[in-house]
Amino acid sequence: MNTQQLALMKKDIRSITSNKRVLTVMLMVPLALTIVLPSVLVFCITLVPESTADFQKLLEMLPVSAEEQNQEQLLLGLVLNKIIPAFFLMIPVMASSVMSAGSFVGEKEKHTLETLLYSPLSLKQLFQAKIMAGFTVGMLVSILSFAAMMLVLEIELFFLTGSVLVPEMSWLVVLLLVAPAISLVAIAVTVRGSAKAQTMEEAQQCAVFLIFPILALVISQFTGILLVNSWILLGLGIVLAVLAAALMKGAEGKFTYERLLK
Amino acid sequence: MKAVETEGLSKIYTGGNKAVDNISFCLEQGEVFGFLGPNGAGKTTTIKLLNGMLAPSGGSCRVFDIDPAQNPEKLHQMSGVITEHAQMYDHLSGMDNLIFYGTLFGRNKADCEKRATALLERLDLADAKQRKLSAYSTGMRQRLSLARAMMHSPKILFLDEPTSGLDPESAQNVNTLIQELASDGTTIFLCTHQLRYAQEICTTYGLMNQGNLFATGNIEKLRSMVSDKVKVRVKASCIPEDMECEKIGEHTYDISVNSEEEIPLLVRRIVGAGGDLYQVSAEQLSLEEIYFSLIDKNHAETECGNL
Ligand SMILES: Nc1ncnc2c1ncn2[C@@H]1O[C@H](COP(=O)(O)OP(=O)(O)O)[C@@H](O)[C@H]1O
Ligand SMILES: [Mg+2]
Repeated sequence: MNTQQLALMKKDIRSITSNKRVLTVMLMVPLALTIVLPSVLVFCITLVPESTADFQKLLEMLPVSAEEQNQEQLLLGLVLNKIIPAFFLMIPVMASSVMSAGSFVGEKEKHTLETLLYSPLSLKQLFQAKIMAGFTVGMLVSILSFAAMMLVLEIELFFLTGSVLVPEMSWLVVLLLVAPAISLVAIAVTVRGSAKAQTMEEAQQCAVFLIFPILALVISQFTGILLVNSWILLGLGIVLAVLAAALMKGAEGKFTYERLLK
Repeated sequence: MKAVETEGLSKIYTGGNKAVDNISFCLEQGEVFGFLGPNGAGKTTTIKLLNGMLAPSGGSCRVFDIDPAQNPEKLHQMSGVITEHAQMYDHLSGMDNLIFYGTLFGRNKADCEKRATALLERLDLADAKQRKLSAYSTGMRQRLSLARAMMHSPKILFLDEPTSGLDPESAQNVNTLIQELASDGTTIFLCTHQLRYAQEICTTYGLMNQGNLFATGNIEKLRSMVSDKVKVRVKASCIPEDMECEKIGEHTYDISVNSEEEIPLLVRRIVGAGGDLYQVSAEQLSLEEIYFSLIDKNHAETECGNL
């Protein structure tokens, strides 16, 4: 990254605040997934004891026997360490893809792309700067969401149960590997889509398909088919990282001045 | 080193549209080149070819000895381009836009700010510099585009219709600025429809029609392509009876001579014949007249060719 690329990146990141739609997605999705949803689950478990019955099947699958620990604590741990991480992955996907759709197709729509192309930055450098902008925003939003979630959740837990819950190692894998990797996949997919797309919506739609595997992951957590742990997440992260690298490589070749200006 | 050099340059768009057809021309440094032609003639396409935005379908071009298709980044460092679709950011102010584009060209922020301030002042945008672009009129945007293209002090400016949408006063202002730039040695490649302004500022011309560059040269050369006669308008009490002329008004006559050198002879003849002379003016064909007659000629020729 040279200073010119940094200038472009900064401009892209700052422009979030000028686009209402982008800003709304950036705020609403994390709010729903890291504040509202966990809070609802926590309140259900702690205040409506019967609801634990719904999770009985899940509890049975856990390696620890139910008697060893308080069932409520077990369930809360399950929610925090298995269910929420799966939901959480939507945040980097949404944030990065909305950001890159805006910074690639948005520029095309507003006829500012051509001006950028006349700059002394090569296509590859422009491409890198825009990817970095999407990635930075994706990660920033993810990490801030996580911090906000932990703060709110621990306060709620403390008042409702009198103790706090320490997140498992798997969160570290999510934040440091899976989220960055899936964010890059989302960017690569959006960027590839944006080569053809004429509007921001079209470009974003490509990344919507990434939501389906995440939903599958979420459902598998609820039904207990495949409970995530650090190892599974590590594997998933590596697969995603490889996929991201392959997609990026493919997308880069697609860009020529002529194709971009169409 | 030539500023621009093309050799059989052609561009066929996907779909078979031959937008630029085998054009060759040379441009010296410091020239103001008026690239003229009706809509769809291929002017914008040529600018894009010369800046590496399009790959030529045939032939070659070099700008300051750089092949735009091979080395666009290097060329962009020394060229400034204004086209209809090279817009700036609506959510930023005029000043912030200029600073952003300045930094893209590797200038530091303080330099950019200084240069932007001077350019905004020069283009009558000083009052609007903190206003967001969304509140700019078309004319203000055009002028800001010119400032943007000049932020990195390019050696060559490609201006695609820089005065379209400007009121006469702003257009005049922009033209003066272009002339100043040219006198500082900047080469200007100017596409325009406003022939009267073009005649004021251009040193050479290229006339395009349907992808063909059918005439190049300075105005004298173009004029000689239309007609090698000079029309002299004379106001005199009387003229010799055997003098071939066209009577325009009571004492006004148009007389056709072969060159300017013949004008003194003409004057002597009238005076010698006892006529009182009140006014003598050589009526040169304007660029506009030359343009239309050459375009007509070209149309006729291409139609003959098509038959
Ligand atoms: N991207 C494109 N794809 C196909 N045809 C194009 C494209 N851009 C321009 N053309 C065609 O090429 C011709 C020349 O266009 P252009 O260079 O824009 O002319 P001018 O700038 O002189 O008005 C026109 O017939 C136009 O329709
Ligand atoms: Mg044009």
